[in-house]
Amino acid sequence: MIQLVLFLSIGALLFLALIFLVWQSPRAEDSSAALVEARQALVALQTGLLPMELIGRIFNREDLDYVRSQAPEPVCSMFLSDRKSVALAWAAQVRKQVLNLMRFHLGSARFHARLSLRTELALAVEFAGLLLACRALQMVLYVGGPYAAPRIVGATAATAVHVCRISERSLAFLNSAGFGALPGRPSGASL
Amino acid sequence: MSSLPRRLDVQEAAEDVRHRTLSELPRTLDRLIYLASMRDYNTGLYYHDGLAARFSQEVACEALADCHREVFRQLVACSLENVVCQMEAYMKSTHTSPGEFLAAWRKLEPYRVAVPVEADPLSAQLLFSTFKIALAILEARLNPRSRESDASPHQSPGR
Repeated sequence: MIQLVLFLSIGALLFLALIFLVWQSPRAEDSSAALVEARQALVALQTGLLPMELIGRIFNREDLDYVRSQAPEPVCSMFLSDRKSVALAWAAQVRKQVLNLMRFHLGSARFHARLSLRTELALAVEFAGLLLACRALQMVLYVGGPYAAPRIVGATAATAVHVCRISERSLAFLNSAGFGALPGRPSGASL
Repeated sequence: MSSLPRRLDVQEAAEDVRHRTLSELPRTLDRLIYLASMRDYNTGLYYHDGLAARFSQEVACEALADCHREVFRQLVACSLENVVCQMEAYMKSTHTSPGEFLAAWRKLEPYRVAVPVEADPLSAQLLFSTFKIALAILEARLNPRSRESDASPHQSPGR
């Protein structure tokens, strides 16, 4: 009798574990939505946020020096306020898109790409560092203005470019599946 | 898929626009305004009779949109000093009085409708800000007295 109860308990546990696993496994529509979101995040980062020309333009001090030499103080203040808004928007956008990419890697990347455990761990560390750097950058820019942290900007952009390259490998199968190549990729960003 | 404009035709048409039309315009700002003026504000589609006659309406539209995006990126990459110079030269080319031109641009902000539809919002925000500051600098040049009176009591520590 005890044996029967034991076997039934084990069977029930196994059955529950099976249900749990089926419930946890990604559904097709969830997976495809994650793929689309990840690809959009990648394109937004590579073509919209990380091109060197744009980063250089937002954080270039020459514009500030020029305004100071050409216009009165109210115009300088207006310029600094505008540029700060743009810089904060840049940092927030980079963080948002990096979070989207991270969700893809945490959720369904392993079902589509064969990344080694070492690469996945390195990527996890880079994602964590990047999100921290973005948050720190937002705080520094908010307090000190758009020209307060050129090194953090450079390091954040460079890490984001690296993370994009790895994510691109994970999403590379989409290109061969008829989605077309990613347009206008930057060669890399560093300040 | 035959209704879709063929990519090669679009590239050829875009090259035609660059070579025949855009190269005749002296500044990137002029090119942006010209290309924006080729777009129907109700539909967002670009029209160019000559180009449409040579290729097709779809190809012409796509080629003009490509050129518009390209010129927009070029202008975003320009320094503030460069944009101020371009705006000043453009203002002179319109033969309007500087005061009227600057007032109209400050109030109407016509540059807001000059960007491509698919422009990246951050780049558009940066360009709008650059235009706004460029207008303020040109106004300060136009009224140097107000500049001096504004500047003297508020000298920043960095100056």
